[in-house]
Amino acid sequence: MSATAPLPSARAQGASPWHELDPLTRLVVALGTVAAALVLGGIVCLSLLAALTVLVPAAVARELREVLRLSLLLALPLGVSVVVVNVLFSPGTPAEGALLATGVVLRILTMAGAAVLFYRTTRPAELLASLQYHGVPSRATFVIHNGAAMIPRLAERAREVTEAQRARGLDTEGNLLRRGRGLVALAAPTVLGAMAEVETRTLALETRGFTRPGRPTLLWTPHDGPVQRLARWGVLLVLIVLVLEHLAGVLPC
Amino acid sequence: MSATWLRVGGGLAVFALIALAGLAALGGLEFDEALDTFTLVMVVAIPAGIATYALIEYAQTRRIDSITGQFDTRTLVLMPVAIALNIVLGTAVASALKIPIYFDSIGTILVAALAGPLAGAVTGFLANVIWTYLAPPPFGSPFAVPFAVVAVVVGLMAGTFARWGWLRPRPDSSGRRLLVGGAISIGAVVVMVVIALRAWLAAADGSSLAPKSDDTAFFILGWLVVLLVVGTAVGLVVLLVRRRDLAAAYILAAGVLTGIVAAFIAAPIAAGLFGGVTGSGADFVIAAFRRAGADLEQAVLGQSLISDPVDKVITYFVVYLILGAMATRTKARFPQGRYLLPLNESEDVRDRAAPER
Repeated sequence: MSATAPLPSARAQGASPWHELDPLTRLVVALGTVAAALVLGGIVCLSLLAALTVLVPAAVARELREVLRLSLLLALPLGVSVVVVNVLFSPGTPAEGALLATGVVLRILTMAGAAVLFYRTTRPAELLASLQYHGVPSRATFVIHNGAAMIPRLAERAREVTEAQRARGLDTEGNLLRRGRGLVALAAPTVLGAMAEVETRTLALETRGFTRPGRPTLLWTPHDGPVQRLARWGVLLVLIVLVLEHLAGVLPC
Repeated sequence: MSATWLRVGGGLAVFALIALAGLAALGGLEFDEALDTFTLVMVVAIPAGIATYALIEYAQTRRIDSITGQFDTRTLVLMPVAIALNIVLGTAVASALKIPIYFDSIGTILVAALAGPLAGAVTGFLANVIWTYLAPPPFGSPFAVPFAVVAVVVGLMAGTFARWGWLRPRPDSSGRRLLVGGAISIGAVVVMVVIALRAWLAAADGSSLAPKSDDTAFFILGWLVVLLVVGTAVGLVVLLVRRRDLAAAYILAAGVLTGIVAAFIAAPIAAGLFGGVTGSGADFVIAAFRRAGADLEQAVLGQSLISDPVDKVITYFVVYLILGAMATRTKARFPQGRYLLPLNESEDVRDRAAPER
């Protein structure tokens, strides 16, 4: 539905080996990194994970600076809160709290890095085409793609509503009661406007064969291969091993 | 109807079996022991429960109509809107308003109410995944994915409550019903307050609730949250009395139940993964609990048990208002829409609707 340009060939756009990977492979690596960051603990293990799955690929993709900058930015507010809550408000010693906080901040940074690297190097349309190529139903890819594409449009609508309500004297500062009341005044027009669109879009889709059974023809195929397929299963295997290891508690991770 | 109950019962049984066995085998059933493995067990147990439901239905009917029926074109168009609503409103509330609620499940509950529990669960799951991997910069949050399991449970519960007709408007109910409804709502509020207070006391380790001199600010914030709980409840009771709309009682019950369950699932995730911090206004509440001498797990659970029911009651209430603003014919076209109509209207619709699946 969104007005994206026709898909470029990955090779023309891909300046690096990382860009040339099947988007599904990159997604699996990103998902695997987040899952591993959740399972692993300890400063050493998390640093290793970050270096291996975020920093090296980012360097290969020549996105290292941007990935570092964006993940620091994303992790900053949460990181500050973590440090404040764990160091300043911890009933234990500040040193204990600091150690805990360091681990958590590292985990947050790794997760942010994995998400940013994926986001920076993959266009949603590319990922969706790859998912369809690998047999994901077009109805599912429709929801995913539109879910992502709808966010800026809805944000734009919300911004308009906010400005309109501010012009009428809405108070978004002040005490809790006022903020609570402000919530309704902002949310209601935003939501109702978006709901009104659903009907029109449904009719438009149904007249264009959206519900037709069978698989649509793809005009673009990702550069997949046996190595990548193996690597994807490898990520899953490593994750299972990590979970088992975590439960058994062999390594200090 | 009994065929449906068999499927639901089978799914729930498998879920409970895996959850209990998993927790017992991996850690222990005590809260502190279960913290570490809880998320992992949920990630396995919930899909297994849903899969069991699907398998039983397939065995019964050779198809899975009750699942595919929840994903018609209209619902598929609504889902992206719902996902974007979750993300945009969640980000706005977390970053702009700084109050200790999340407000990131309106879309999930809306889809669950209109289309069904599984559609709601899928919406919640996808919203959290997209929030992390595909949302454009100002809205991206790398920390939403671990909470996807909470969103799935919220969707399942909301869809079930709507299917039971809990979100039906019931204006001009009889005095006796209103009395019963009022009693139920007050009971729910009492349960909510008791749980919040018990969590608070547990967090304070039985010492005292009296604010100490150096942390007055945090205690005032904490009490403001409790005030918000009471305020929401009073607002709903006013709706109950003035509009004589019994739905207020149902909304309250649905919100409190969903909130308590969500709190118990979300707290271990927040405590175990992020040191209890979510980057929202809720952090103040956690800091207050910590200051009062609670350990991390208690502080996070205490915060969740306060924030989540309030958050969910408000969300259900907003969804109820949205549904009220939608045209009857629009609602009735959704897979589960007929359960959202007032009883006398839904009778007409049911006559024309497809036979029970």
